[in-house]
Amino acid sequence: MDVERSAWAWSLAGIATLLVLHFLFRPLLVRLPVAPNLLVGALLLATLRLRSGHAAVLGFGLGILEASMALEGMGSYALALTVVGYVGARSRDLLFADARFYVFGYVFVGTWLAEIVLLLLGTSPAGPVRLILGSGADALLTATICGGVEALTASLSARQV
Amino acid sequence: MRYLTAGRPESQRRDLLIAVGLAFLSLFIAGMSPDSRLAVTRVVRSTVLAPFLGAHRVFARSAELTERVTALELERERLAVEVLQSANLKLENRQLRIIAGLPERRAGDFAVGEVTAGAPETGASHTFLFRTREGIEPLTPAGISTPQGLLGVLRITDGGSGLGEFWTHPDFRVGVRTPDGSATGILRAYPAEGGETMMLLDGIPFQTSLAAGTLLETSGEGGVHPPGVPVGRVVREEDSRSGWSHSYLVAPLVRPGQARVGLVWLVRSLLEPGPEKVGIDSTSAGQEPGRSDRVSSDSGD
Repeated sequence: MDVERSAWAWSLAGIATLLVLHFLFRPLLVRLPVAPNLLVGALLLATLRLRSGHAAVLGFGLGILEASMALEGMGSYALALTVVGYVGARSRDLLFADARFYVFGYVFVGTWLAEIVLLLLGTSPAGPVRLILGSGADALLTATICGGVEALTASLSARQV
Repeated sequence: MRYLTAGRPESQRRDLLIAVGLAFLSLFIAGMSPDSRLAVTRVVRSTVLAPFLGAHRVFARSAELTERVTALELERERLAVEVLQSANLKLENRQLRIIAGLPERRAGDFAVGEVTAGAPETGASHTFLFRTREGIEPLTPAGISTPQGLLGVLRITDGGSGLGEFWTHPDFRVGVRTPDGSATGILRAYPAEGGETMMLLDGIPFQTSLAAGTLLETSGEGGVHPPGVPVGRVVREEDSRSGWSHSYLVAPLVRPGQARVGLVWLVRSLLEPGPEKVGIDSTSAGQEPGRSDRVSSDSGD
């Protein structure tokens, strides 16, 4: 029980850090041609530990926050991140059970699809190149960072136990 | 770390219902009126996002200050080079004035101050607040300029603060000339095609033609603006009146939004007693004596 609680606490700290970093440096990140989407990354890490209904609620809440920060597309963001949360939580069983190695792939695929959905919903203007390559680069960067955070929090919780 | 699995079928159904409900709620939000969405945005931004938005403001202010410091450093370096280059010219001019028996030419002093657009109580876009050091009381009206060119006129002052009008004000007029003095006229604000505020040079004799790009500077007539302050460049001929005179469209060198710091011309300093004659002094080619809170332009150049 203590092991589970410790792992939860460290994971929560990692996800919260990603979210704080996202909202803190958002004005800078949106100006970069390739930037990690820490919001979607944190949501996908959370979906690994939450039931699909709870993940959908978290996605909806994050969508409202992101839209309030961006001052546009409130319904689009909320819908897209709700779907990401629910589908992410349901699809994790298809991808892996306990293997940590697959977190990178899970976040990469999830972020790429989420970015494409967000772009298609019109939250930002994008051409086909940006849609495919730009989103892929963003997803790669996001998966690298989130994979690192996941590995770090797992090793910290293991060391504490 | 052990991850959760999907759970029992009844739990899955409940989760699906939650997700579908939230999806419909999202669509409802998307269909809300802009005012309603703005109300939600305001609540979120003033609560959960408030610390982040505060941090963004600090970052933006810091970046703006860094940019301003860099710009000021560049300007200072450019001015230092100009001062060095003008040293010989000043000395030569002084010596020529001594030979000609002329007193020292005095252009007056300038005081530096902060320009804040818009009068808070009225919200007027053509006016600005000017704040300079305590103890400096320019005689009004007094011209306000930046190193790039004319900005407007200070109308009233009180204890280091004052209220002025940008050149965009409908009542603003300034006498201008070409640098060689071949043409003089009166400039005023003019709404050009597309709604952009430009300047109009009126009263140019029909036989005088100004080429596009010609620089116009203040003529000094009226004693409000010092002579020689750049104002704008001619764009094209705008109008011709019965074959007697014509007017030109002029692009301003300084727009109100570009200036945060201005120089007010202290015409009073011309009235204060000064040296009648100049003597040849080995140090006179360098800095001029003046008050520490003023930018002196006393020189013969």
